[in-house]
Amino acid sequence: MFEFLARSLEASTIFTLAALGELVGQRSGILNVGVEGVMLFGATLGFIAAQVTGSFLIGFLVGILIGGLLGLLHGFFSITLGGDQVVSGMGIWIFGFGLTTYIGNPFTGPLGMGRIPKLWGVSPFFYLSIMLIVLTRFVLTRTSLGLKIRSVGENPAVAEVSGVNVTKIRYLCVTVSGMLMGFAGAVYSLDYNPVWNYNFLMGWGFIALALVFFSMWNPLILLGGSLLFGALWQLSLNPQLVLPGVLSRYVWRMAPFAITVVVLMLMSTRWFRRRWGAAKPEALARPYAKE
Amino acid sequence: MQKGLLAGIKHGEAALETRGITKRFPGVLANDRIDFEMKAGEIHAILGENGAGKTTLMNILFGLYQPDEGEIYIGGKPVKLRSPLDAIDLGIGMVHQNRKLVSAHTVLENIILGHPNAGRILNLRRTAKEIEELCARYGFKLDLNAKVWQLSEGEKQVVEILKALYRGAKILILDEPTSALAPPETKKLLASIQAMARDDLAIVPFITHKLPVVLAISNRVTVLRGGRVTARLETAHATEKGLAKEMVGREVIFKIERAQVTRGKPILQVENLSALGNKGFLALKGVSFSVHEGEILGIAGVSGNGQYELAEVLAGLRKAAGGRVLLDENDITHAGSLARWRHGMGYVPSERVDVGSIGDFSLVENVTMNFYFDERYTRRGFIDYRNLGKLTEELIAEYNVAAPGPDTPACSLSGGNLQKIILARVLSRKPRLLIANLPTQGLDVGATEFVRNKLMAAKKAGAGILLISEDLDEILALSDRIAPIYEGEFMGLLAAEQTPRERVGAMMAGVRPEEPKP
Repeated sequence: MFEFLARSLEASTIFTLAALGELVGQRSGILNVGVEGVMLFGATLGFIAAQVTGSFLIGFLVGILIGGLLGLLHGFFSITLGGDQVVSGMGIWIFGFGLTTYIGNPFTGPLGMGRIPKLWGVSPFFYLSIMLIVLTRFVLTRTSLGLKIRSVGENPAVAEVSGVNVTKIRYLCVTVSGMLMGFAGAVYSLDYNPVWNYNFLMGWGFIALALVFFSMWNPLILLGGSLLFGALWQLSLNPQLVLPGVLSRYVWRMAPFAITVVVLMLMSTRWFRRRWGAAKPEALARPYAKE
Repeated sequence: MQKGLLAGIKHGEAALETRGITKRFPGVLANDRIDFEMKAGEIHAILGENGAGKTTLMNILFGLYQPDEGEIYIGGKPVKLRSPLDAIDLGIGMVHQNRKLVSAHTVLENIILGHPNAGRILNLRRTAKEIEELCARYGFKLDLNAKVWQLSEGEKQVVEILKALYRGAKILILDEPTSALAPPETKKLLASIQAMARDDLAIVPFITHKLPVVLAISNRVTVLRGGRVTARLETAHATEKGLAKEMVGREVIFKIERAQVTRGKPILQVENLSALGNKGFLALKGVSFSVHEGEILGIAGVSGNGQYELAEVLAGLRKAAGGRVLLDENDITHAGSLARWRHGMGYVPSERVDVGSIGDFSLVENVTMNFYFDERYTRRGFIDYRNLGKLTEELIAEYNVAAPGPDTPACSLSGGNLQKIILARVLSRKPRLLIANLPTQGLDVGATEFVRNKLMAAKKAGAGILLISEDLDEILALSDRIAPIYEGEFMGLLAAEQTPRERVGAMMAGVRPEEPKP
């Protein structure tokens, strides 16, 4: 039972990191639906770098770096060129899926480097992800930078006349956002499940994306959501652990996605928004052009 | 950029000066050698119609546009304003008419956004205290922790003023400062502005047509017309008539001939009607009234008090939350719009561009939208464009619409001309009941006169008209009866001719009449 709990916390860590990245970007008004693509890149290149150099540190750094670069690329499309953010994000996903499959194929198989030591029985990244949640919440609600980020996401024109450099803030957020996603990918492939094979991520990036909407853009609710989904995911891998013999594992594996769909549908109803208030950044996915 | 040019400026010292400001846009000379100067402690109004170049000048002073020629001096020194940030750094504050505030954030967060002294980690307690001191000094009452979307237009304006003052503005540009305020609110604001002038701020209100405000508040006034300064005078020597003449270039008739029509039977009867606003709260809280043949019922109110929802419910664009609507004694409470048009209702929406027309469609197609269901212009389900083209041409001629022809896209028309075509297509159907929501908002004096005369003519022809307007003078000039609306309720139902202006003004601000009619 402890093993199950520990593994679900580790699964939730990856959701937390990736979704937190997405949340930071969205609070500044940039939607990146290509979370899965960025994670695939971070995971695959991090995996290869670690295996080639024999260093976990380099693996993680490469994952974070490539994530940051993809974030910048998404920023270039959506901020500088003012393009459609959904199109750019989908592009990143398709590109990521294709290219990482091609690059990673020769490396199919286990990492073969031993495991990263646990801290109190759980991966150290779990504790790091909690700290990042707290930090992000503090920055967003209590600091001048956070106020600027939120304002840029709500109403960039107002931020601009108040002396905030919208372009700079958005680039900052979208880059940090990509770095967190790339890091999440690297944590998956180097720590959670250090084996590379075809389509190893199986849509985790999309769950992370949905989690941001689920969280109503609040890092603390986001944490709760990822803990829940981490447990659901773990349950779907070994349903016999908790409820032996009830339903096939394939039905269980579908559960996180089915729940995501239901939750998102509920949240998009008028009733829900009226009840809980619309916390969605007003300028989300809208390009901003100076007057 | 030299900061602090205005630090320690004293009463009567030169604050702001422009020399020969010229700005051209393709095909338009928006500002033509504008000279303007003002001192600390002065309130210097800039008056002009739409298209007189006010907005351009304002944007130049706030660093949004760069002038093609001419210089700007602040505190006697030449400066270049490359962006609003430059202007803010130099001590220029701007109070925008279309409020530049983040509506999901609190008042406090809006005021300190981008403020250099906000601190890396926000010190909300200290900043709140400083802002409260400003409020006390100038007589503003405001909950700093309220979210901006909860505020009235007047309160939002106060937030903008506080934001500029907290940023250390010494020159305050006010864009149409009283346009969204009820008369008592206006009075309060004017008192606050005068208190700021006593503290040696230089204040520049830009005003389109509220001449009494100009006379009440300013020390000097500069009038713009066609991008040029046509008059510059001490307010003490100015009269309303004289200013209007300088502004328009001809004598303006302020009175409109009120057609005397005997009131007929009721067309529209509304009983206890209520509706939700966009935020999901009850915006219209049970109003009852009727509109008769040959009558204009004026709904007077500051925007956001439920009149918009009322117009939409009557037009069938918004669900009624309760109550009944009878049109010629048919219950149409839940009828669709088309059924209402067929019953003889006409609708002039307040959003000319978004609801009143489709910009990419030609004028014929836009006119068609009111006729596609009319047997005279359809044949076995097909639209008779030839006839409609003829009709559109006639309407363009009759209403003096400045458009090359019926095939012009609607988006190429100016606001006034677009409004004329919208009004033309509705009135040509000879509606028995017309709902006109802000029919003259944003129009210049000429187009306003035209629209008002057309409404009066429709009334004379026997139509009942529900006129919704924020302009109290318009309501008083046109209506037979007046219903001031405040927070979704009627404050009363008055006969226009016996009601003094002040009384309607007070009721618009929520003051109920002392003696309710039995």
